Amino acid sequence: MFQNWFSKSALLVLIVAGMVMFAGCRATTREYSPDDTIHYDEGYDFSDKNAIVDYLVTSLVNRSPLAARNDRPVLVIYGVANRTSEHIETSGITDDIRQEVLRSGKARFVSKVQRDNIAAETEYQYGGNVSPETRLQRARQIGAEYMLTGTLRSIKKNQPRQVRLKKKTLQYYSLTLELTDLQTGLVEWTDSAEIVRESSKPFIGW
Amino acid sequence: MTRLTGPSRKYGTLACLLLLGAGLLFAGCASSSLTIARNAFYNGNTALASQSLPDPDSVSDRDRLLYYMEKGTILFYSGDYRASKDLFLQAAELIKAQEVISASRQAASLVTTEWLTKYKGEYAERLLVHTYLMMDFLLLDDPESALVEAKQALEVYDTYPEACNDDYFTRALIAHCYEALGEINGAYIEYKKLAKLMGDPSPVADKLCALGTRLGFSDEVEHYRQFLPRPEPENGQSPVGEVLVFVSRGRAPVKIPHDIILPDAIRFSFSTYADRDGYFPGADMPVLPDVHNASRVTTNVGRVLRASLDRRLARIIAKETARVVAKEAIAKNINDNGMESLVRIAFLLMEVPDTRCWETLPGTLTLVRFPLFTGDNPRFLEEMGIPVPETAVDAPSGGGPFYRYYVVRH
Repeated sequence: MFQNWFSKSALLVLIVAGMVMFAGCRATTREYSPDDTIHYDEGYDFSDKNAIVDYLVTSLVNRSPLAARNDRPVLVIYGVANRTSEHIETSGITDDIRQEVLRSGKARFVSKVQRDNIAAETEYQYGGNVSPETRLQRARQIGAEYMLTGTLRSIKKNQPRQVRLKKKTLQYYSLTLELTDLQTGLVEWTDSAEIVRESSKPFIGW
Repeated sequence: MTRLTGPSRKYGTLACLLLLGAGLLFAGCASSSLTIARNAFYNGNTALASQSLPDPDSVSDRDRLLYYMEKGTILFYSGDYRASKDLFLQAAELIKAQEVISASRQAASLVTTEWLTKYKGEYAERLLVHTYLMMDFLLLDDPESALVEAKQALEVYDTYPEACNDDYFTRALIAHCYEALGEINGAYIEYKKLAKLMGDPSPVADKLCALGTRLGFSDEVEHYRQFLPRPEPENGQSPVGEVLVFVSRGRAPVKIPHDIILPDAIRFSFSTYADRDGYFPGADMPVLPDVHNASRVTTNVGRVLRASLDRRLARIIAKETARVVAKEAIAKNINDNGMESLVRIAFLLMEVPDTRCWETLPGTLTLVRFPLFTGDNPRFLEEMGIPVPETAVDAPSGGGPFYRYYVVRH
């Protein structure tokens, strides 16, 4: 009788364990706000991008020269150079900076990446298909007064090799932006945002 | 609950062993596509080599890293640098993911064979993944991404210096990646490290002098000036850029199995690197001898691979000993002579040394570097034995640093 009871219990345990396993395997999705701070590891992620952009745009529009100007000077972005040890698409940073600065109303931008497209469209409009009354006028583009450039850097430090169950990594990121007066060549504003993060990963998994 | 005893238990155990053996056999077959691809590659049929590895599922998940490395190499030498880059990026990702030791696979391999574990790549192979990525990105005119890979390669050097320091080609490529982006301080540091590791600074003395002068290191420039292999050009023309040729020659050694059979059918197995049969140009043979005014930095890939395996030697011996002890303990606990013999035979057959390795690697990698002057460069390069694409244009007469990259494979 005991043996029979034990067999039934074992079967029940197996069924429950199986259900738990299958439940764990089910695909799940979860919504997050882009403003949430989420980090899976020490690497650069969207939360870092948001924090960096917020800090630097606040600094850029609230300090000289933009803070002292009411005529919305024109800027051109020459991109952020990636000097980290990760493949990071830095155009996402510059897109967000441009968007936030435009929202602040302190400056305007000319787009360097759209120059070829603008030239192609101009050529098209002067190619004979567009009526002279509606086609754009040449030599009416606005020249940029300032150039915005930047460099994203990182330093990674691994915990020294020793007997341990987890591997700790310390990661440092810094994004430095510069605003250069194109007429004088003077760097009129510069600031940097920094992030330092430690993470640990287990050496042994199932 | 009833426990199996007598003949039932014997046949049960035997069935388990047979199932395990069959499983291993089928698992081994899953990666036969790798063998087909490698053979086709060395027979010059890169199209068939690539087709033999249609997707990652065409190999066992234990050999997934080899899939990315072998197919990445095949596509690199086919000239498809974009696809090659994608595969090597996945290889680099997988190497990071596999840093976590799988307890279940390690435990299973302890009583069976090392083939059950996922292939993680020798330390030198992990470095060479970044080497090929650097070359891919440079050939795709993306020096910024090449520098990202250079920095990841430096992490591998820092982690396994004894295994990787003889890879001079990769170090020279790292220095160039810094230089190509105008990071001359980083470039100078790497050229200096390379000069120290090679013992003879001559192949990079021109770089150390030029960059050192720009950085204001006059004492060091004076020191390296004595190693300059040739006088400054006096033809009145200044170079407008530089040609870098990535020359791959021969075949890297492969791992071969070795066994030591002890009494009571105890098999102690291990692998070593062995050179391949056939004639291949050695590391000391001149590379692109018709190219004058060039500096050459060569890596003997076989030497670096052997150093990597040696670096793991203590760990390999420890695990092999643990496996022998575990198998012996299991066999001794069987209270049936016939059954014990069967189990010992099964264990003996299962003890197969792990000979997996990246087989499409060349025997040597040489970075040939020479100045570029304005003129009919595509024609001159072809005359020197460097295959130049039809779209190649001559060097511009002005502008910033200008680099041309070519791949040569013998």
